[in-house]
Amino acid sequence: MLDLFRKYRIPLLAACLVLAALLLYSVHLRRQERTTLFERGVLQLTAPLQKGIDRVCEAVADTWSRYLWLVATEEQNVSLRQENSELRGRLAAMEEIRLANERLRRLLEFREETDLPALPARIIAVDASSWFRTVVIDKGGEDGVREGMPVVVAEGVVGRVIRLAPRQARALLITDASSAAASLVQRNRIRGISRGQGDFLALEFALRQKDIEVGDAVVTSGTGGVFPKGLMIGRVSEVNRGEYGLFQQVTVAPAVDFSRLEEVLVLLGENP
Amino acid sequence: MTRIAVYFLIGYFFILVQTVLLPHLLPFQIKADLLLILVIYLGLNEHYLGGALLCYALGSLFDVFAGSQPGLFGIALMTTFLVVRTVVGRLNTESSVLLLLMVFCGTLFEGVLIVFLLGTFADTGPMGFMVLGGLLPQALLNLAVAFVLLRCLVRLQRRFFPRSLIPGLQHLGSRHGS
Repeated sequence: MLDLFRKYRIPLLAACLVLAALLLYSVHLRRQERTTLFERGVLQLTAPLQKGIDRVCEAVADTWSRYLWLVATEEQNVSLRQENSELRGRLAAMEEIRLANERLRRLLEFREETDLPALPARIIAVDASSWFRTVVIDKGGEDGVREGMPVVVAEGVVGRVIRLAPRQARALLITDASSAAASLVQRNRIRGISRGQGDFLALEFALRQKDIEVGDAVVTSGTGGVFPKGLMIGRVSEVNRGEYGLFQQVTVAPAVDFSRLEEVLVLLGENP
Repeated sequence: MTRIAVYFLIGYFFILVQTVLLPHLLPFQIKADLLLILVIYLGLNEHYLGGALLCYALGSLFDVFAGSQPGLFGIALMTTFLVVRTVVGRLNTESSVLLLLMVFCGTLFEGVLIVFLLGTFADTGPMGFMVLGGLLPQALLNLAVAFVLLRCLVRLQRRFFPRSLIPGLQHLGSRHGS
């Protein structure tokens, strides 16, 4: 028996490790709504580094776009280039300020419109994997953020907070495949579930005989326990009724452009 | 122990790069999986137990920054390491193409494993189709990045640390580093 164990020591050990890991994974799955101490610690430790790298990246990108691309022009006319560079630099800076101002103004207007208290936050990192859609924001438990709170922008729903650290949090975007939001078609109040599909959403459980058209707005229904009622999710981009089946296939283009997301609002009020 | 700590720090650095730097450099959704490349490199050089535990720790760290299911990448990376370690024992590790081949196959293996784990243990809707659909571009991107990393590493080592050794890269560098 001992010889057998010695002979197959490595495969047995490997199998034990994989089994132990599977066990831990399945235990975590039951408690996935809670942030573990390990996750909180790592997020807290990493956020300053992520913020730092993000700022350096922005500074480098800024310098590159404002100055370095004008090197070729310098050979033609040095004095003109200097003047041009300076003016372009100022223009770029002003344009950046104007755009930030516009985004923040829209957020502010939205914040005033909504009844719930909202906390502005900045996105400092995105998901480490290609397969999932999450972002890290620079506000956390100390700022009043809690797990499950909705994250929005003026254009519509962004997602919900799934992991929490004292000064940062991770939010699951509505386009992630594991994200689902109770929704309804704004025009005729047809109910369904908007489930993430990566870059778009699918409105599930919409009965086949119901009238849904391309261009219809899809909003949150307020019944899912996470998002308040009436937040914009997106617009119907494709409807496929087919000949059989109980439900129709409805594709929804998200209202939010997730590739350009920089600032968001966390709705701090109680869940509906 | 120092070596393990260095690998862990490199893994942590790779995760930071993937979350903050790569989104600035690559404007599309698929990003290179640097941590997987590190795990496959470990599979070529590390022992079973130490390597497996290190890969599980790195995977658990990765889970904090990826997806919504703690433990998923822990199992995926550890199993990938164990498979690579087992396969490598039966192959000629003197070949410089081996690491690149392993990165390509390892990406496919890890993707299929993630689909299996998600499909078996969790309700993640169409995630399986999404992962399978993006696997080939991901594998090709990882392959390209591994090739560039290998060239850069060997060149840097020859230029700045000509007398020191990076485990496993000497014979691999014989074709890529010159």
